[in-house]
Amino acid sequence: MIRIGAMGVLSALLMTGCLRPAENRAVRDSKVGRAEGGGLSLEVEDGLAAVRSVGSGEVTLWGNAPVLTARATLDADATSEWVLTVRNAMPGAELLAELEDGEVLAVESVPQVLPTVKAWRVGLRPGAVAKLRVAPPGWDSTAPFRFAALADVQEALPRVGDIYARLSKDDSLRFILFSGDLTETGTREQLLEFQARLEEGSPIPLYATLGNHEIISNDGDEYSALVGRGSQSFVFQGVRFTVMDSSNGTLDPIVEEQLEGWLASSRQGTHVVSMHVPPQDPVGLRGGGFANRGESAGLVGKLAREGVDLTLYGHIHSYYSFTNAGIPAFISGGGGAIPETFDGVGRHYLAVDIGANEGLREASLVRVD
Amino acid sequence: MLSAQSPRSWPLALALVGAFFVLPGRAQAQDPEPLSAFELLARSPQLGGSDIPRDLPGRATVGTPRRPRMPDASLPMPDLGMQSPLPAPEWRAASPGLFMSKGEPVGAEASSPEVASAHPEGEPASPSSELLAPASTASAADAPMGMPAPLTPHGVPNSPLSPVPASTQALLDSSRSFKVVPAAVAVVPGLLFHGLAPALAGDGHTARRLFALEGTGLGLIALGGVPIALTGASRRTIAPLYAVTLAGFSVFGISAIANLYSVASPAFDPGVPASSLPPLEFEMGYQYVSDTAFDYDHFVSLGAVARFEEVKLEATARLSPNEGNTQVRMGGAYRLLGEPERRRAGSDGSSLDAELFGLFHRFPTEGFTVIGGDVGFRGRYAMSRVSPSLAGSFAEASIGMALQGYSYPGPVSDGNLHSQLLYSFGYGVWLGRGGGPFKGEAMLFYDHRKDGFAGGVRTLSGGVVGSFGLRARALLTETWGVAGEFSASGALVGRLALVYALGGDE
Repeated sequence: MIRIGAMGVLSALLMTGCLRPAENRAVRDSKVGRAEGGGLSLEVEDGLAAVRSVGSGEVTLWGNAPVLTARATLDADATSEWVLTVRNAMPGAELLAELEDGEVLAVESVPQVLPTVKAWRVGLRPGAVAKLRVAPPGWDSTAPFRFAALADVQEALPRVGDIYARLSKDDSLRFILFSGDLTETGTREQLLEFQARLEEGSPIPLYATLGNHEIISNDGDEYSALVGRGSQSFVFQGVRFTVMDSSNGTLDPIVEEQLEGWLASSRQGTHVVSMHVPPQDPVGLRGGGFANRGESAGLVGKLAREGVDLTLYGHIHSYYSFTNAGIPAFISGGGGAIPETFDGVGRHYLAVDIGANEGLREASLVRVD
Repeated sequence: MLSAQSPRSWPLALALVGAFFVLPGRAQAQDPEPLSAFELLARSPQLGGSDIPRDLPGRATVGTPRRPRMPDASLPMPDLGMQSPLPAPEWRAASPGLFMSKGEPVGAEASSPEVASAHPEGEPASPSSELLAPASTASAADAPMGMPAPLTPHGVPNSPLSPVPASTQALLDSSRSFKVVPAAVAVVPGLLFHGLAPALAGDGHTARRLFALEGTGLGLIALGGVPIALTGASRRTIAPLYAVTLAGFSVFGISAIANLYSVASPAFDPGVPASSLPPLEFEMGYQYVSDTAFDYDHFVSLGAVARFEEVKLEATARLSPNEGNTQVRMGGAYRLLGEPERRRAGSDGSSLDAELFGLFHRFPTEGFTVIGGDVGFRGRYAMSRVSPSLAGSFAEASIGMALQGYSYPGPVSDGNLHSQLLYSFGYGVWLGRGGGPFKGEAMLFYDHRKDGFAGGVRTLSGGVVGSFGLRARALLTETWGVAGEFSASGALVGRLALVYALGGDE
């Protein structure tokens, strides 16, 4: 009986795991961007950055959005002199630090060699709460801009510099929106190598969601620690960007609930939605999309009803242009992972022109090889 | 969006299905052994059995299995209309001297030392073989239940798919009994080495067949899977490669379960396919779905089956009273090979059908409707043709394609048209024992389709893998029966229905 009971419990656990395989990651997302150390308690709004270190008067963040806002609470007996370093930041990003009563705190920029690494000395007030905002100039305008869409580097990580070199030729690109599968198995070493190569080769930051390869190692916990949330939403120059963790071929109900809010908040504006596994594989016989076609149809229908302007996917290592429920959709999995053959497309990325008022203006395929 | 590749998959898929059906089967003789209490119970009339000794390919009289013995080429072979390396049972029964060697049952191989020691010279022939009454007038219709009548396209004799009368060898049952060690080995490491358990049980013939099946399965997986990986699942080649890979998984999975069945089957009397199924069946029941992606859970389940000669019509409906989700599926199957279900007497249940179905599925909460059609083939193969140890079980596989349109009423300006590869395989057992009205089947299955309530498994590789489940249907009396199904993937689906049959006594 004990054996049968144990088997039953095990089966139930397995069943539960199969029914909501992304639940743990969705829960873990809520903890991203929060850390304490050296008398400082830091909370990044909406978890848009991973706290890499905090303590001894230094805070280092890995930004996963162009605009970061954090709430810093300093203990009364803690040191007031702090150095805030933001890696993967927008070039030209500036720090604004102010107390809750609106008093602006002194900030001094610390020069850095890499264009996407920014650092500032800031004098925090012991016993007080400060609001820190890191953003590039014009972040709240509605001017059109261009970004790059990319996915699926995986085992081609040693060659990813070619893509960054090609990106560097286009000064108008503001950032890279990465739709998952940065690395082959999502280990700490691989993710650190990815970030090192990014900082070394790319003049612009990369904002990502995770892919199914990131969750191979410990269900993506290293990704959460080093990169950030799998599902999040941010606004840049009036355009909302939402990335979601679909790496199990589904959205967890927690993410679905978050999505409802993100969709509602930009119902009238321009909205770009990105995820790794596309809800629907344009090659239906292959079936590389969601595990349940009903779920995928329901999702794209919801996105369409809420006025999403563009959907971007990865997972399939090629380039596809199609529509889902009428929404323009692109798969741009040209990061270098085992390429789909006979498609006439090698490594590539997508250059997307978009504006808050204009919506999607143009999406162009840019070949790297 | 449709792929242009779908037609390319059909020739290969058809070839695979054909190869599956022409897999040769041979039989072996087995020794008699006293029945255990459990075996007696399994044969009881309450479970559809009969107290009268039957000449079935049963396990109750089995013992140490023997490898089949090829007949002496110098001996005369009767023309029975079948290309069998072994003689037909009626011929053997009529000419026992030709096929008995030193007291061994028919078909046993004398070269095996342990076999020779187990059958000392002068031992009388097995009682089972004595049950083989003179069969000078034997025909498929006269054959006992579960005996493999030739699988012919609508009765055409000498079909290329006419089976080797493998399970007839099981009539010559010798002593086989359930053994714990082979049964345990069948799980670990038997699920990796599929012939290991029967080999340990002394059933070399079955062991070789299962190892061959497993090797074939692994070979097909490699044959399809490696190019898929190397081509990055190219849209140009994915359809045939996918079909080959799935066929490999099918063969591998079937041999894995057959490995379990071969060593577990001595514990019970194997079932036989029903000699006939009612022309009309209705069912009504309840279905529960647990899927975190949907609000629905409770469903009314309705169904109907109408059986004609070669044609079978089916309709199912699933209605969620509280949520409004409605799925209706209607269509039919045309029997290309094998006996119709209405008059299956003597057949071992092997068949090949062409299927055509239409689908309507409304998702009111999610705000879309699916309308589509499925076309494909479904084949069933009596595993007794692979080995007599597998008598009472069958393998099933299907392949096809679905075209579906997704419609979004309201402000959504555009729908989608999608294709889908349909593929399933399963391993089942006949539940009836040939006596009484009890008849039915149960099958463990894998279904690759992703548009059902079960959908696919939400895995590390996204949504590639389909669902797994157990399906059973049985008529308990001439008019009443039950049907049930449980499948698991990213969702859990359970269904239980009451079946009402009309015309079952015809």
